[in-house]
Parts: sequence; C-alpha cells; structure tokens
Amino acid sequence: MGGKVTCTLGEIKNRADFIVYWGGNPAECHPRHFTKYTLTQKGKFVPNGRKDRTMVLVDIRETPSARAADIFLQIKPGKDFEILTTLRALVKGHRVNEASVAETGLSIEQLRDLADRMKQARFGVIFFGMGLSMTRGKHMNSAAVLMLAAELNAFTKFVTMPMRGHGNVTGSDMVMRWSTGYPFGVSLCRGYPRFNPGEFSTVDLLVRGDVDAALVLGADPGATMPQPGIDHLARIPTIVLDPKVTHTSRLARVHITTAATGISAPGTVYRMDEIPLPLRPALVSPYPTDEEVIRRIREAVAKKPAWAQRPAAMAPTN
Amino acid sequence: MSLNIVQHATCTFCGCVCDDIELHADAEKIVKTKHACSLGEAWFRNHTAERLYPEALVDGQPATLDTAIDTAADHLYKAHMPLVYGLSNITCEAQREAISLAELAGGVIDSHTSL
Repeated sequence: MGGKVTCTLGEIKNRADFIVYWGGNPAECHPRHFTKYTLTQKGKFVPNGRKDRTMVLVDIRETPSARAADIFLQIKPGKDFEILTTLRALVKGHRVNEASVAETGLSIEQLRDLADRMKQARFGVIFFGMGLSMTRGKHMNSAAVLMLAAELNAFTKFVTMPMRGHGNVTGSDMVMRWSTGYPFGVSLCRGYPRFNPGEFSTVDLLVRGDVDAALVLGADPGATMPQPGIDHLARIPTIVLDPKVTHTSRLARVHITTAATGISAPGTVYRMDEIPLPLRPALVSPYPTDEEVIRRIREAVAKKPAWAQRPAAMAPTN
Repeated sequence: MSLNIVQHATCTFCGCVCDDIELHADAEKIVKTKHACSLGEAWFRNHTAERLYPEALVDGQPATLDTAIDTAADHLYKAHMPLVYGLSNITCEAQREAISLAELAGGVIDSHTSL
C-alpha cells in the first residue's frame, strides 16, 4: 500500500472527462476550483468544457456543490471505506455482498453504475476532501481511494488528488519530505528523523502531554484543538508567530507579530497539485517575516552548547 | 495618492493558490482585488500593513523583538521535547528554517496534515 497516482491541475483541465469530488464542498471551500481548474474550463482534449465532462459528488449531505454535479450520491456517514472497497471489487468484476452494500446508503445499482462510468472514462480523477480523510477510517480511507484510482489504471487513465485546505499545507509536506524523508509528524528527538502518526502527531502529543514546549507557526491551535490539547499548550511555554494576536497568542508565553504570507511577505508556496508558485506581495509590512524570525531563533539556539553532536547536513547554508 | 497595482499576485488562502489575482494597494491596505473569489478577497482585505499589534509579547506584556527571540530560543533550548507545529500558512523558505530549528532543538515537527 502506498503511492499516489496523480497529475497536475493543468492536465485535469486539458484532459479529464470524468471528475469525482468525494467528501468535499468546493463550491464553498475552493470557490474557483470548478471554474479555474476542472469543470467549466475548455481544455485541449475536452474542447466543449462542461459539456465534455461528467461530474459526480459523493458526500453525506447535499451541499451547494451538488448543484454543479451531474450525479450526486448521498452516502451514510462513516461508510466511505466500505463504499471504496466495494467499488474496487466491482471494478475488478468480483462478487460483492449486496446486503452489506445496503448499509452504505447507496444501492448496488448506483455503485455498479459508478464503477462502469469510472472504467469508461477517458481520463478520470477523484478529488477527496476532509469529509473522506478526517472521518471514521481516516488515513485508511485515503489509502482506499488511492488504491481505487491506481487499480483503475488497468482499464483507463485515472488519478487522485487531495483537496488541500490551507494555502501552503502542500508545501509543508513537500519541504518536510525532501529534507527529512517524511511529510509530517516527524520526530528529530534522537537527532535523526522518525515518522509515526499517532505518536508524533500534534493532537496526540498535546493531549497526552508529551511535549514540554511548543512553537506555533501560522496556526491557531488554541481555537481548533480538543480542550485537553489547549490546556497543555497553556501549561507549557508556547511561542506563537502570527500576523495577528490569536487565541493561541493569548495563552502563549511569547508572541511575535510577523508579516502576512503573500500579502506582505515574499516566498514560495505549493498549490494542491504540488506545483510551486512565487508570491507577489502588494504591501510592505512593519513586521519581520516568519522566515527571518525563525532564522534568528535558530541562530540564538545554535549559539548555546549542543545537546548532541550536530549534523551539518540539514542546516540551510544561506 | 496613486495605487500600487500588482499583476499575477498569488492568493494563499486555500489550496487552489490562484496566481492570477490583480491587487490594487495603497501604502497600508489592499483596496481592490480582481479575479479573487469571496474567500480570497476577504483574505487580502483582512491583512494590512498597519501597525495594529505590538511587535512582540512576552508573558502577555509588550516586548522588543530581540527580547522575544531570546526568550523563545531559551524555552526551545531548555525543553526536552519541543513541538514545532503549523507550517501551513508560511512560505517554503520559512518551513525550511523551521525544520532546521526543530532538528537543532531536538524536537518534533508537524503540520495541519496530521489533524
């Protein structure tokens, strides 16, 4: 298990004739996704734009995105994994238990129709949102959707892409991957990277009270974490870098105001399809950038006696 | 006063990272956006270059940037297992510095991806 068959949004614009959005509401959360990248754009191999494309929305409730869809499939909450594995079986022509299909909220005919359409597409894509990846099953749901798309490549061209929320969350996956080998949840406590979501993921670390200091960069866990996690952030020395004084800043020992990314701070961010784009800030901030403040904190820590032998390989050279 | 017009500006509010935005800005504020969606427009208008907050707060009190940086470095250095968290709304250049800092402090680094 592992590996993502994917492509850029430009390829989807020019080629995709079958588009599935699963557990996401782009009409409200990514308003220009339909018009700039996927549905309504005319592309090289889909010259008539919307007319050449079929869109399916899979969700637990009828969101405003359903109005844009040709087919809306309303499923029961927490049944994504069952549906994805049933689809994998149907795609391969295996038998499925029709009684257990009933509890997903869809009929076997609806699933057969979806599996057939997927196989008949010239170029298909599944965009999956947090309604899939953050509900019952979590990363197993993501793995199931990646497997389904990978297996569909025995019949046609099929790709997947997660609908990333925050502006540069893709960038943090990329930068951590190329520098530590893992995308998130990386412990460097032993001086080399170890990856273990559940052990080194923020919510778990905070709720268990494992960490004894926190540096929060452009996030507001004080407004979004479970209460035991927030309580722990208030108990330990927390440092916040943010353009505004946030909920987390109020419970932190140190807050440093920084320039706003892309508005008054330059740099690079990654789009959800892993394309890096330069920022063109329009304003000049009276505050320093995050980059500058983090570098200065790093330099201040580097002046202190080392806790372990320091590897030089990963330190930025500039 | 004439407005500074930025073509092909990049919006970092959501994962779409639209890079075809036109911004019209005076010295402190973005007063007009073109091509941005409702979320993007709110994002650009919500952040100004005004000095609305103290440059730093230490234990809730306004402090200088130098003091705040030294205090932050002390806390991270003394911790046995510091956590570096967030990263999703900062640039790749800043993320690179953050990973280096996490390594130096012997900590854990994590983003919104794990939520």
